[in-house]
Amino acid sequence: MRGRVAFRGGGFAPRPSPLAGAATLIVLIAFWQTASWAGWLPRLFLPAPREIAIALYRLALSGELWRHLGASLGRLAIGWSLGTVAGLLLGFAVGLFTLACSPGMAVVSAFFPIPKIALVPLFIIWFGIGEGSKIATLALGVFFPTVINTAGAVDNVPRGLIRMGQSFSLSWLSIVRKIVLPGALPGILSGFRVTSSIAIILLVAAEMIGAERGIGAFVLSAGNLYDVDNLLAGIVVLSLLGLIVAWAIGWLERKLLSWRG
Amino acid sequence: MLFAVTCRAVFVLLVLCAAVQTASAADPVRLGLLQTLSPAPFYIAQERGYFRDAGLDVTFRFFQAAQPIAAAAVSGDIDVGVTALTGGFFALAGKGALKVIGGGLHEEKGYEGSAILVSTKAYEAGLTAPAKLAGHSFAITQYGSSFHYMAGRIAEASGFDVKSLTLRPVQQVANMVAAVRSGQVDATIAIASMAKPVDAAGEGRIIGWAGDIVPYQITALFTTDKMIAEHPDVLRRFAQAYARGVADYREAFLRLDAAGKPIRDASTDAVIPAITKYVFVNDPDAARKISEGVGFYDAGGALDVADVIAQYRWFQAQDMVKSDADPKTLIDTSFLPTR
Repeated sequence: MRGRVAFRGGGFAPRPSPLAGAATLIVLIAFWQTASWAGWLPRLFLPAPREIAIALYRLALSGELWRHLGASLGRLAIGWSLGTVAGLLLGFAVGLFTLACSPGMAVVSAFFPIPKIALVPLFIIWFGIGEGSKIATLALGVFFPTVINTAGAVDNVPRGLIRMGQSFSLSWLSIVRKIVLPGALPGILSGFRVTSSIAIILLVAAEMIGAERGIGAFVLSAGNLYDVDNLLAGIVVLSLLGLIVAWAIGWLERKLLSWRG
Repeated sequence: MLFAVTCRAVFVLLVLCAAVQTASAADPVRLGLLQTLSPAPFYIAQERGYFRDAGLDVTFRFFQAAQPIAAAAVSGDIDVGVTALTGGFFALAGKGALKVIGGGLHEEKGYEGSAILVSTKAYEAGLTAPAKLAGHSFAITQYGSSFHYMAGRIAEASGFDVKSLTLRPVQQVANMVAAVRSGQVDATIAIASMAKPVDAAGEGRIIGWAGDIVPYQITALFTTDKMIAEHPDVLRRFAQAYARGVADYREAFLRLDAAGKPIRDASTDAVIPAITKYVFVNDPDAARKISEGVGFYDAGGALDVADVIAQYRWFQAQDMVKSDADPKTLIDTSFLPTR
């Protein structure tokens, strides 16, 4: 053993930097605005960020934005919660019980790939043209990925820990509560990131039929009228909604997973 | 065997050559339209060779909805389009991209065009006349569609605020009729060929005809500013061939007898094959469906200029079209007559 061995550890652990994330978005928007000013982009069919901001400001001022947002947030909250609760229940059942494992996964694998948008007309017959069909679209869209993700997260809980709990003769319920649940939580929470985005994407499909209010309905109607300023303003609202939800889940992760150190 | 195959190949090649040759001789025109009964005069003009006679090679590009036709003209995918004048159309036209050059389907008193169809449930609960629509739910395809406009004008004519209707956008015409049949929505507007069977089956009730309340230019022929600037001659020949199609169409479907009943005779039967090439294909009941479903076209494909301006003003007043362009700049009357 001659010579010093350089330290080869470290890396492979990207650190989050909220500032860099925000800066990237700001630079992108600034570039877009500059391109519009310079005349590289056709103003007629791709408005500049400034025009979108003005449209957004007008919508907020007239109260229209809040009416649409209120309707959509209500649908998102109810639809996502229903889908998530049902998905978590089935996901845990699949992950924990032999009896539920194969039948549950068979059902999920069969129904998950069906595009929920294609089912919207059927949902109208089943759940009515009102809120029912919209919430069903969102809940079903969220349900299947939640099941898959939860079952996977439960499966990934280190077996060693469970065996250790059993050696110390912990009860079944204790093992689930103290080992499986916390062990699966990181996976479940990162699944929330995916399902909340899916819910926002499906919002437009859900509000395609029979919705008077809602951001999705607003975006569709602006698109039909080739009202590009409002169309992009609506898309910005959807995107902001995604950012806020992602931030909220990040906060939840920090709170709930602080034990990981 | 091999000889037969080679023979066939040579024959196909010859036919292809011939096709290419005639195509190169005529000016190509791409027409955007809906695959419904409403553009029937274009089918007639195509099948009877009126476009070919005018030295044009017209290709039909079929669309599923009215708005994309206007967008396709702006993007340069079609040269001429015939479609309902919608909020989206006026928004694009207001930006200086499109111009209306001729008339299409027109709602007319006495001709059954668009029916006001209500659900049986709503009818039994007292929705028996258009004036009673206030406060009911009303299915439309989309905001700013021709159905939205008709609902607005019926409201105006009946003296109630269009905002008192609960508008239900359901994207497709088939969905509108389905929503009324299943009672999910109280009322909608449907063309005669769709509304009559529903009424006959007792799954809904026709309580009036839009044409009796608001005579209006539903569809119109439009083109791009670029086309007018670069190929006015092609457009002129296109308009003439179209007018011939309209003349045949009026002869076949729009003559009324003394009692105001439509006349159906040999000239009707003669145009049916041209239409069934595009709609009700292989439907044994096609002749009756076409005969019952046809709408009114003005003589010579004339455009109701005053009504197009009124429509534009309505969409502006509803804040659906933000352009403040002079409506006269949206219309070019140098190709076809006016009403």
